[in-house]
Amino acid sequence: MDSAWTAFDVVTQTMLQKAFDDPKTVDLEKLSNAIVDQSLKDLSFCKDAGRMCYAVVQAEAQKAATSVFRRNLLTRLQQEFTAREQTRNRSVREWVCLVTFICSIFDYIKVNNAPLVALVDPVYDCLYRLAQPDALINEEEVDCLVVQLHRVGEQLEQTNSQRMNQLFYLLRDGFLLQEDLSSMTRLLLLEILEFRASGWTLTDTAHKRSKEYFMGERSGIPV
Amino acid sequence: MSAHQKNRYENDYKPDENRNKGASRWSHCRKRGADGSLRKSHAIEEPGKCSQHSGRPESFTTPESEGPVSRVKNWGDEVEAEEMRSNVRNDMHRSDSRDSRDSKESPAKGDIETDETTLIRRQKQINYGKNTLAYDRYIKEVPKHMRQPGVHPKTPNKFKKYSRRSWDQQIKLWRVKLHAWDPPAEEGSDLQQIEEIDLGEIMDFELDVECSADTESQCPTSSGKSLSLAEDSFTGTPKKMMKTEDAEMS
Repeated sequence: MDSAWTAFDVVTQTMLQKAFDDPKTVDLEKLSNAIVDQSLKDLSFCKDAGRMCYAVVQAEAQKAATSVFRRNLLTRLQQEFTAREQTRNRSVREWVCLVTFICSIFDYIKVNNAPLVALVDPVYDCLYRLAQPDALINEEEVDCLVVQLHRVGEQLEQTNSQRMNQLFYLLRDGFLLQEDLSSMTRLLLLEILEFRASGWTLTDTAHKRSKEYFMGERSGIPV
Repeated sequence: MSAHQKNRYENDYKPDENRNKGASRWSHCRKRGADGSLRKSHAIEEPGKCSQHSGRPESFTTPESEGPVSRVKNWGDEVEAEEMRSNVRNDMHRSDSRDSRDSKESPAKGDIETDETTLIRRQKQINYGKNTLAYDRYIKEVPKHMRQPGVHPKTPNKFKKYSRRSWDQQIKLWRVKLHAWDPPAEEGSDLQQIEEIDLGEIMDFELDVECSADTESQCPTSSGKSLSLAEDSFTGTPKKMMKTEDAEMS
């Protein structure tokens, strides 16, 4: 996180620093908007943006006993989520950033150590969208899908396993039936299918096999 | 009032404006706004409140559902409700473990209020009271061990069994008592009049009402002057922003 905030301009950096020291003196709505805006443009930023946000949420709760920042953040996030299809049509990169950001928030921000129930369905909705045929042909979107499943898949499954099952039916179908997928995409899908099958951990065999595919030592579509 | 509740009333005055600042999930379900005018029954387009479930009008409810609640919820509200629920559950576990040791304060095991809806409703009412500047000043001025029963307000125990009326009355009285710690205002002679109230009057009033918890009409008439003054200044009490629940403070 220490390097993440250098992505901001000086004004925002100062605001962020002040938010940790004395949240009451900062315009938290403005800060949350700045973070969301940056997240939607910068893929490397949005992975860790969740951690930054959680730090602000905690600082505000402890020092000011309010939750203005979190509320504004969630409201803004909900707006972006609602407009996600338009965003995807406009820019796949932005759409991918949005999904990454929402998952990052889901990953880091907890309420009394429990994940945010309100975000579970929205995250699934995003992942379902990424599992659609028109998304699976984009390596950018597939990459996002598998990365997010690695990060929050296990937690998501714990909160709603039925939807996870459905998601994986889609992925399996895509892998087996969709003809226009690149080999990289197939590799990524195979890996995530196995990852979940082995309880969301990397087994040695799976790791080895992925490497072999990548190195071209194996070919063809395994069944 | 907390900012959360304040926003709710503001929303009632401006039903058509796009609002994304803490709209309560209940605010658009009231038939009339705070000014008495009939609200439009169709859904107002809000960020994140689009109809995702087709086929049913926004106003559709069933008796089995939680009540007149919109099917599409605001994430900010939802998370705050989640937080309150888990805080209440934590409170319950805390009070469970305290039971045997501190029997003076806690009710007997069989007499605990466990219904979550009730607990959450009560906790909300407590939060409104604790969200005031008066409460802040009170706890700073009078530490717990210095409190005298009767003189110093005590937060009603949400885990004890009470009837709805009894509980609501206790909350009302508690909040009236807290007004004694309102910060001094520049204008307003009503606050000064509060300070002139003899505490003895308040105590008598409290005894009166506790004996007859059924008749709410008793409330405004029994102690006459002092209570009506309190009611007048009620809306003028300075409030803080909505805060998250922290450990039980009183």
